[in-house]
Amino acid sequence: MKQLIHKITSRFLLTGFGGAILFLAACSGHPSLPSNFTKADKEPAIWPDYRDVTVPPNIAPLNFMVDSVDDVIAEVSFQDTKFNYGGKDNKVQIDEKEWHEMLTAAKGKSLSVTVYTEKDGKWAAFRPFSINVAEDEIDPYISYRVLPPTFVGYDELSIRQYNLTNSQETTIYNNRIISKDLEGQCVNCHSYQNYRTDNMMFHMRFQHPGTMIVSDGELIFVNLKNNEMISAAAYNSWHPSLPIIAFSTDHTMQSFHTRQVSKVEVMESASDLVIYDVKQNKVQVVLCDSAEMELFPSWSPDGKWLYYCSAHFEYTKKYEDTEELLAKYKTLQYNLYRLSFDAENRTFGEPELIYDAVAKNRSAVQPRLSPDGRHLLFAEGPWGLFHIWHTSADVQMLDIETGQMVNTRPMNSELPESYPSFSSNGRWVLFESRRDDGNYTRTYFAYLDKQGRLHKPFEVPATDPEYFRLFLRSWSRPEFMKEPVRITPRQFYEKALTEPIKVN
Amino acid sequence: MGTDLRQILNCKLLAPFCYCIAFAALAWYFLYVRNADTMYFLQDRGLWNSTDLFWEDCMRLPGGLLAWTGAYLTQFFYHPALGSAMLIALWLLTFWLAKWSLRVPDRWSFVICIPLAALLCSIIQLGYWVYILRDIDYVFYHSLGLLAALLLSVPFWRYLPVGEKPKQWTALVWIPLVAALFYHPLGIYALLAAAIVTAQTLSNSLLRGEKPGESSAKEASPLRGGWVGALLLLLFTLWLVPLVETSRSFLMCPDQAWTYGFHKFELDELRDYSLEVPFYLVLIVPLLLPFLQGLKTKRLLVSQGIMVAVAAAMFYCLSVRDFTDYNFHAEMRMQRGVEECRWDDVLREAARVKGPVTREMVMFRDIALINRGEFCSKRYIYNNESIPPATVSDSIRMRIADQAADLIYFNYGETIFAIRRALERCMHFGYSYYTMRMLTMCALVNGELDNARRYLRLLRRTTFQKQWAEKMQRFVDNQSLMADTEPFRMPLRFYNEGSELVGTDDKYVELTILKKWMYTITQDPVAQEVALGCAMGMRDHNCFWGQVQQYYNINPGKDFPTHVQEAMLFEVYELKMQGVNLSFVKFDEKVVERYKNFISRMKQYAAQGMNEKQIGSLLRPEFGDTYMWDYCVLRQVQTN
Repeated sequence: MKQLIHKITSRFLLTGFGGAILFLAACSGHPSLPSNFTKADKEPAIWPDYRDVTVPPNIAPLNFMVDSVDDVIAEVSFQDTKFNYGGKDNKVQIDEKEWHEMLTAAKGKSLSVTVYTEKDGKWAAFRPFSINVAEDEIDPYISYRVLPPTFVGYDELSIRQYNLTNSQETTIYNNRIISKDLEGQCVNCHSYQNYRTDNMMFHMRFQHPGTMIVSDGELIFVNLKNNEMISAAAYNSWHPSLPIIAFSTDHTMQSFHTRQVSKVEVMESASDLVIYDVKQNKVQVVLCDSAEMELFPSWSPDGKWLYYCSAHFEYTKKYEDTEELLAKYKTLQYNLYRLSFDAENRTFGEPELIYDAVAKNRSAVQPRLSPDGRHLLFAEGPWGLFHIWHTSADVQMLDIETGQMVNTRPMNSELPESYPSFSSNGRWVLFESRRDDGNYTRTYFAYLDKQGRLHKPFEVPATDPEYFRLFLRSWSRPEFMKEPVRITPRQFYEKALTEPIKVN
Repeated sequence: MGTDLRQILNCKLLAPFCYCIAFAALAWYFLYVRNADTMYFLQDRGLWNSTDLFWEDCMRLPGGLLAWTGAYLTQFFYHPALGSAMLIALWLLTFWLAKWSLRVPDRWSFVICIPLAALLCSIIQLGYWVYILRDIDYVFYHSLGLLAALLLSVPFWRYLPVGEKPKQWTALVWIPLVAALFYHPLGIYALLAAAIVTAQTLSNSLLRGEKPGESSAKEASPLRGGWVGALLLLLFTLWLVPLVETSRSFLMCPDQAWTYGFHKFELDELRDYSLEVPFYLVLIVPLLLPFLQGLKTKRLLVSQGIMVAVAAAMFYCLSVRDFTDYNFHAEMRMQRGVEECRWDDVLREAARVKGPVTREMVMFRDIALINRGEFCSKRYIYNNESIPPATVSDSIRMRIADQAADLIYFNYGETIFAIRRALERCMHFGYSYYTMRMLTMCALVNGELDNARRYLRLLRRTTFQKQWAEKMQRFVDNQSLMADTEPFRMPLRFYNEGSELVGTDDKYVELTILKKWMYTITQDPVAQEVALGCAMGMRDHNCFWGQVQQYYNINPGKDFPTHVQEAMLFEVYELKMQGVNLSFVKFDEKVVERYKNFISRMKQYAAQGMNEKQIGSLLRPEFGDTYMWDYCVLRQVQTN
């Protein structure tokens, strides 16, 4: 009951006069450093681990916490500028304005952070750690899907956007606005043209199925399935300059392990590639070889190449025999290919092998080319395509010019990494990882410097550093954006109630 | 005598006090005496924690404050007596508040019990809906809503130190204001508050405004002559406020803007309006209460007669709506017993049940037998005759996959499938204490310690799960403790002995377990006995004899369990299984004797022209505890 009263009073009363007083008090100063402390000859164990990470100069404050202590104070300094934060509990929450001023001043250099912790009345000071500030900014927004780490159901599922400069989150679309049945509505595969949101899309499945496409700011709702396609359009990529979206169409299935902690295997029993012309409402088949499972199309930034992955699989008994596929699921390994694209005639060249993962007994999926066309990012796992469920999956990077692999060890972990992409300036790699606990997917960023080296990644900052520890949903399929989505959830909802346009 | 009674009943506050006592007793009977297991279950499928995240999650939709507070209070049903007492206290508070605020005359105050009884009914009528209830705050939500609506309708402007005119305007303004200000935290109950204020205004206007000579008329009738305006204002408010709220929300279904906070029993194509009747009463009856002061009867016995009729109707309705299905309650008790590793209690419950049981009860019992090492020696002592999955609202079948699949999978060491089912339920119905405990235990068995820590971190921020979280923390810190400690002792053993396969259960939990285990060849004697029992359960001859051979191999010199002996005799002599050499088996003479008697009696009855059902019931008293009887009478392998 005490907690109840506290909660209600703190929420309602503090938003008024009491809140104003506390706010003024909080703004009036920073905590003082303890005068008596012992020195610990080690760096503090902080959560999230922001020690020695490289961050963009426009990132939101990297708030953090320390476990099993009563109080923590952090001295964040750059040259002569020093600010102390914390002093209330085990969390350090940094003033946004001061943080941005420090980052701006520290571009290309490092901030120093000294952490003091108090336990049972005794203070300890830890060895300072650095936060390196890159000169290259990051795109200010990301969008992602939010869902429990579930397998079949999708009762509450949303696509949200996050302002990386101030940690503010808003909803692009939440299926609860329309869901009625127990199975709900699936929303997935959001993507953007050139990191802009006036040309974007995402799919809806089951209830009010169709694809929401924003074309030059205008919202259209399309049924992206015709007789030539094996399913409605799925994984996709916008052409960088033309009103064209490349899709894979596929039949998906999943099965569960009984012992492996990777838990589930997702497989495609058939898949092809198509492109869709948004203006002409027309689908064109690109690849439909029944012995090839083509997936994850991705345009090169110059629009002249279509990258994708494909696994060779020949059914011995009957086409799409799921039992055979299940028996041989470990042989389903994907290589990376590309097709040349003639934009004028809308024709494609022959498949060209870019990365032979099968030769390494691995499976490479989700290719993304850097804006300068030099580096190719992809996720690599032992087999299959849903590497976020494969413990050994990592994000890999191929230097297209040299044909050599870039050392990605600094950004990978023992647990799954997947779905990588580049920022619009090519300096930041965005990927999803389950390194926190193996189950809940989180978003990480790693800096790719001008020498082509990857730096230690950092988890997306949150106002409350404990947020991602308590949040029992995954952030999946993150995408960079230069601007927020302007269409409101209500507009998407109203459009979803209309009959989708059929493609030609 | 009549005079004495009248004096007693006229005694100020005595009548409402008696009504309170009677209602509290009734509520205690239905809540605690008859439904303690359901109430515990309801709290266990809920979740409250002290994080900001949980608060924000609740506050996303109208009624968020009620949801948060309801979730907080519901957890007190961890001790059903405490939770029941708190809920009843809340109802009594509501009674007195309604009586005072709406000026309900003493003799008519029993009418206030109608919405309160409806609230009680809304809880005890749930039955199998408890498994698919999305609202973790259901038990307290509507009671808190009614209380809040009454609080907001207290005509405090009567006490303002201003003139009559400002008081009148305050009353008028309060109608839209209460709805607009409180719609977000209270949902539909803010609209109810506005409606009650209007009802008060109307009652004052209609009942007293016609008598301008009375001194109280001016005070009590702020809208004298303007009641039509008040009504129009209310209707406009009820229409506009939810619309405005919906337009600002990214989550509210625009076509359901007016129903946030009203519980709809809706699932797929089904909507069960009968379960919603209590909520209609909760919303309608309070609107009538202000008018009770206008009921004039000089005969006390008239009002008391009506009171008796209402009380009788109330008791009848509650008795009829109370979900008394024995299996439903037994299943809950057994589930809790399994989770708390009280194997004797589970078996006692299994022995107590008279008629056919649910498959979930069969599985809970089997788990208890396995943990007692009696799976192959006592399984057929208990009733294996089962019924199809229960239904909710006569159409939707509740299968094990929808209920306690995770707990059952966990106890068979199938932690990945358990996680899968737990998370599917989270997706549909949200996280709960129960699910988080299951996920924690599965993570511990799988060795996913960081994942276990995540759930424990949250459970430590609840009121009644802290102790459990602390207990589990010991296993996170030292995994070696798990092997010899409940609840991990057996699941961990099965996890280590079970094989890695890839597949799905297609929602057939029992079948999946039986099929997997009957094919499992293990050297572990305990796990092997489970494999043998599963092969017997599935009546798969090849698997059975394969497991018999394995049992013999790893238990040299040990007697076969009773039911295995029965099955071997039956397989060889009745089913004529070829190529089996029983000379290596040392049979118990009693088992052989009973087998012979069973077969001879069965053949004798069959010769008399009896059908299977008749033979089965005749043989049941003597042979109902044998494998043969089960095999011959329960012809179909019933799984779910």
